[in-house]
This record gives sequence, structure tokens and C-alpha cells, in this order.
Amino acid sequence: MVVVTERLTRLEHQWQARPGVLGWLTTTDHKRIGLLYFWTTLVLFGAGGVEALAMRTQLARPNQHLIGPETYNELFTLHGVTMIFFFIIPMTTGAFGNYLLPLMLGARDMAFPRMNALSFWIFLGSGIFLYVSLAVGDAPNAGWFNYVPLSSRHYDPGHNIDFYCLGVIFNSIASTLTAAQFIVTILKSRAPGMSLNRMPLFCYAMFAAAFGLLFALPTLSADVIFLFLDRNVGTHFFDPAYHGSALLWQHLFWFFGHPEVYILIVPAFGIATSIIPAFTQRKMVAFPLVAIAELLVVFIGFGVWAHHMYATGLPTMTMIFFGAATAMVVIPSTIQVFSWCMSFIMGTARFNTPLLFIAGFIFMFVMGGLTGIMFVAIPFDQQVTDTYFVIAHFHYIIFGAAVFPIFGGLYYWFPKVTGKLPFDRPGQIAFWIIFVGTNLLFFPMHILGLIGMTRREYTYPSGLGWEPYNFAETIGAFITTAGILLLLGNLVYSYFRGVESGPDPWHGPTLEWTVPSPPPDYNFAVIPTVRSAYPNWEPAPPYEWLDRGHQQVESEGVDGVIGDIVGMPHESPWPPLLALTLLGVFAMLVLGKFEIAGIMGIFTLLTLVGWHSKEPQES
Amino acid sequence: MTAVPAPRRVAFPAGLWGMLMVIATEGMLLGAFIATYFYLRFKAPVWPPHGDHAPPIATTLILTACLVATSAPMAIASWSAAAGELAKTRLALVIALIVQCGYLAYEFKDFSDELHKSNIVHDQYTSIYYTLLGADHAHVFFGVLLNLWLLGKLVTGLTRYRVRAVQAIAWYWHFVNVLTIVIVGTLLSAHA
Repeated sequence: MVVVTERLTRLEHQWQARPGVLGWLTTTDHKRIGLLYFWTTLVLFGAGGVEALAMRTQLARPNQHLIGPETYNELFTLHGVTMIFFFIIPMTTGAFGNYLLPLMLGARDMAFPRMNALSFWIFLGSGIFLYVSLAVGDAPNAGWFNYVPLSSRHYDPGHNIDFYCLGVIFNSIASTLTAAQFIVTILKSRAPGMSLNRMPLFCYAMFAAAFGLLFALPTLSADVIFLFLDRNVGTHFFDPAYHGSALLWQHLFWFFGHPEVYILIVPAFGIATSIIPAFTQRKMVAFPLVAIAELLVVFIGFGVWAHHMYATGLPTMTMIFFGAATAMVVIPSTIQVFSWCMSFIMGTARFNTPLLFIAGFIFMFVMGGLTGIMFVAIPFDQQVTDTYFVIAHFHYIIFGAAVFPIFGGLYYWFPKVTGKLPFDRPGQIAFWIIFVGTNLLFFPMHILGLIGMTRREYTYPSGLGWEPYNFAETIGAFITTAGILLLLGNLVYSYFRGVESGPDPWHGPTLEWTVPSPPPDYNFAVIPTVRSAYPNWEPAPPYEWLDRGHQQVESEGVDGVIGDIVGMPHESPWPPLLALTLLGVFAMLVLGKFEIAGIMGIFTLLTLVGWHSKEPQES
Repeated sequence: MTAVPAPRRVAFPAGLWGMLMVIATEGMLLGAFIATYFYLRFKAPVWPPHGDHAPPIATTLILTACLVATSAPMAIASWSAAAGELAKTRLALVIALIVQCGYLAYEFKDFSDELHKSNIVHDQYTSIYYTLLGADHAHVFFGVLLNLWLLGKLVTGLTRYRVRAVQAIAWYWHFVNVLTIVIVGTLLSAHA
């Protein structure tokens, strides 16, 4: 016993975080970084939500002019950009992924802890960068997909689109770092014995999303680089007068944009496949098929981009090809839906708040999926392109299939992060309010689209039959907001008044439930070994203490055989500094001061040199 | 406490996986640039458009061959570092660096001369031509910085960390060399 206490003290000493603000600034602990991501994305979610409410308030009645057309353009653009790039991706990968991946894999930290911190600080910098544009009255205003020629210098002469181009590149650096981090961590940092077929489905989902990000984001970067050059240097990539092509923008954008949609929802699938076994106390039905389906969804997602472009005059053969490819997505999606539903049916489902959100998610995903299949019918797609029908479809997918599991996940892992149990009844009430609110908000959009309301209208005349639907939607928006506030308020209340949860309140299947709540800085005092995909239900004898230094086990890619014991870097001031210099580079670029941006770039390189001046201690 | 006998297998280190990720995402970025080149080309009535010229074949190929040859000393540096031979590693790196710097200096001069003759804003061809070429040069430039940094690090000897760095940077250079071949091939395809 004395030995155990001694070893624990030693581990605590080795892994202890620096106290105070400085500790948070220099942290490389994946849990702290996950929390930083969580709070930042929550604030940005609030901003995106307020933008949505402002638009819905304007559209509640016909002929309203609370918001002018210019501001309305900025609002819907910022709403889209914020929710996609600054809320869902960083919430699912940055917050959930960062906090949970190492815990589920049985690791003490990510493979590259300092790079992980860098990813957060760059993300924060890009968020500040984007919202400064709103403060200075130059927010992006050509929609989240920012089509040329609308976004060209000729039609949009302000800095608005420059903020978009640079903000998106800035943000994609953070996402790319996260993606690379996840892939390497999953391949290298799994606990001994965790061969790929024993890896939790949540990790498969993160793996799939990370691959998607790594390969999809560069095409977006290329696209915005071209646009930035067209606008600021005078090149002619998108200028038909010089044989450039406006469609080129769309091809490159959607080559990124469609995988992006799956990148948004696949981590949410991962959350669902974590919650379902815990609340049905049953292993997932068709585990290998679900794992393959998660990967396949993202893979097929790279071959469907032109279905966003059916109204652009593509050759019929091309459209049919992309229609067929799109229809293929149904297969892995349906495999997953059947697996979720069968796990519900064959287990003993406890409909606590997390599982309620997953049930709601399945409903919303199927709804959004069914309208998605309708778009495969090319003439129908052409008919409803740019109408509210499309808005309805993707909000069912993005809000229903991505945000619902995020809410469920918040309740599911709340005890792990805080050590307190959330109150269940208010959570359930919040679920029903949100469920009713979102359906009232998004379902009438289908009808509005079919009767001719196009997207991005800042106001509309009366007498078109649009009023009742728009009014219902606005009511739905406020109901949804009330539900979200109740949901989050209950968590805050539970944090202060909730009962102690202990390490494993739900009897969850994966490794994070084997450690205390909240987890200690070193996650696992004794490195676990794994013999099953449900290691908390089928425990294996632990491996060893590993308390001779700030160390982690590196395993071999496929079989999870131990490869090496490596020293891990600990607390570094360089990541926030590097992000700061990059913020300087982007700020100067948007101001058109390219020479000063170059000088800031040199500072970035010098920071990198400083970063690598101290080598991590390796054993 | 050690209940499970632990078989160990030396595996591909995380540092090299990291470099693979860089290569994957950069390869994709440049892939998008090359796709754009051909997209614009197939939409154009004449390629290169009137008033533009495709790059000279002989000079371009000779220069590319010089750069690609540096993969050999980079590979030697990588193997020597793994074998703990510091002097050999340094020598190979210096040889590679000299050729790479020479290549870069010539290309920088050539790039700015060409820009004077035919401006980047001339048409869609010059837009993608200079962007593609500039992106390639930027990768070479960054590689040169990496090699300089590496030589600085090696002044005080080899550690395991530095061996990984040599290996990873050698990989980076192999990638840049392949990239250069592909980009040069793309640009020379204007002759066809």
C-alpha cells in the first residue's frame, strides 16, 4: 500500500499542471485543451445562435426591416461559417475528441501534446480574427460557400471576403493539426492489446473525420488562396473574361464541402455509438460493419461533390455519375441506422437524457437522410436548388444529426469531466423542448421551399402564403433556444448541486470509465491492457505503472503491440506564442501590408526554432 | 504488477507518422493546384494562350535533375544518422544543402526575370503557372530552412530526437523532389 501511495505521489508530481492562468496558457494536457476548446466553441455557438435568432426575428412577419440587406448578408454568412468551422468541427473534434480520445485509447496524452495546444491557440486566433471583421463592419457577406463572381473584388470591394479567405485558411490550419494529431494518436498511442478491431467506435469515427479533414481542407485552402490572389493581386483564376472559370470555385469548394458535411456528422455517430451501449447495456450490433461504415461514409463523401452543382449546367453524364455516387452513401448510413436501432431493441434501453438525445438524433438523421435521397433525383434537385427545402434538409442533418449527439454527449460525459451527476429530469424536459422546437423550426422550411421561398431573402412581401410557416419557424427558433438554455443551465446547476458520480455512473463500456472522475493529470496510473472493444466490461490485467518519468507507451500501428516507452513534452509557452505571431501575419495580410506580414512570418519561424530548442526527454 | 508478458515490436515512430501527415495534406494542396491547371487548360481554346510561352524544356529538366539528385545525400544522411555516424550525416546534409541552395538561387532569379517579361496578371495561364511554380519554390525554400536548422542542431551531436528529425526531413525532401517532378511535368505539358 505504501508503495502504491508513493508511486501515485510520484506520478502526480511528474504530471502536475502549473497552477493559475499560466498553467492554462502553457498547458499540453489533452483534457485541459479539450476544455479550452469546449468553452471557446460554446461562446461561438452562442454567437452563431444569436445570428440565427436575429434572422428568424426579421423573417417572422412579412415586410420587416429590422435588419437591412447588407447586415442580413453578413448574418447568414457568419452564421454558416461559425456553426460549421467554429462550432461543430471544433466541438466534436477539438472538445470531445481531445478530451476523450486518449482516455478511450488508454493513453496518457496525445501523440504530439504541444501541437495539440498549438491547434487550440490557432483556433482561438482564427475565431478572434473572424469576429473582429464583424466589429469593424467588414464581416464576410457572400454566404458560407462564397460563390464567385459575387465574392470577386468587382462586386464585393470591401475587406469582407478577404476576412473570409484568410479566416478560413487560419481556421483550417488548426483543424489540420487536430486531424494529423488524431490519426497519429490513434495509430500510435493505443493501450497494449488494443488491436484495431478492439478500438472503440468513437475512435473510428474520429479517425474517419480526421482523414476527411486532412484530405479535404487543402482543396478549400487552394480555392481561397486563388480567390485571395484574384482579389488582391489581380490574377484571373475565376475571371471568365480571361478564360478563368467561375465554376472552378464551386468544384474546388464542394470537393472540400461535401466531405465536410460527413466530417460534421461522423464524430456525432461516434458519440451515439458510445452512448447506446452504455444505456442499453448491450454491445453494439454489427460492430465491424459500423466501424467500416463510419470510414466508408467519409470515403464516398469525396466522390459526390458535384451534386451541389446540378443547377450549373454540368453535362448530363456527369450529373448521373454524381447522382449514383450520392445514392451509394445510403448504404453505409443505413447500416449504421439499423445497428443503432437494433442495439436499442435488443438491449435494455434506459431513456435517460443522453439516450433520449440519441433517439432524437436517429429520427432527425433519418428525416434529413430521406430528403437527401430526394436530391439524387436530378430534376427535383434542380427544382428546389437554393430554396428553403435545401435549408430544411441540411439543418435536419447538421442540427439534428450533429448537434443532438453533442447535447447527448454533454450529459453522458459530464460526470467524467466534473465528477458530478447531471439532474436527469430537467435534461429530459430540455430534450423534449428542443425536439419540438427544432421540428417546428425546420419542418415548415420544406414546405416553404416547395412553394417557392428561396434562401437568403432578407425580407418578403405578404400575400405569398409564406407567413404562417415563417411565423411557426420563428416560434420554433425561440423554443429551441429556451430548451438549449435549460439544458446548459441544468448542467451548471448540477455542477454545483449534483451528487458525486464516482468513476463509472452509467456502467460504460470503454476505458474512460475505469479512471476516477475527473481523471487525474496522468489519466491512468497503471497502463491498462485491452482484450475486448468493451474493456470496462471485460477487463484485462493491467500492464505496468510507468512512473519513471513523464512517459507514455507507444504501440505498433495495427496490433497494439507495445513498441516503445517515450518521454512526453510537458507545458510549453511556444504554442500560444506561435499562434500569436500567426494572428499577426493574418492581420497584416487582411490589411494588405504584405511586407509587414512577411516580417511577422519570420517571427513565426523564429518561434518554431525556439519551440524546438528544448528536446523532450526520451528514455 | 506486470501481469501480461509484454512482447515488444519496434515500430514506425510517431515523428515519422507526423511527417507523413504533412506530406499527405501538402500533397493534396498541390494536387488541387495541379487539378486547377488542367481544368483551366481543358477549358482554354489555346494553351498556352497567345502571348504566353511554355517553360524551356532543357534548362528546366537539367535543374530538376539537380534538385532530385539531392534525394541521394538526404537518404545517406538519414541512414548515417540512424547508424550514429555524425560526421557522415553532416557531410551528406551539407552536400545536399549546397545543391538545393544553388537550385533555389537560380530559380528565384529566373522567377523574377520571368515575372518581368510576362506578368502574373496577364491571363489565366500566367495565374496558375506562377502560383504553381511559386508554391513549388516555397516548398524548396522551406526545406532549405529545415536543413539549415538541422545542421545547427547537429553541431552538438546526435540524439534520438535528432535522428528522427533527420529522417523526417529526408522524407520531406523526397516528397518535395517528387512534387517538383510532377509540377515540372505539368508545366512542360504546355508544349504538348
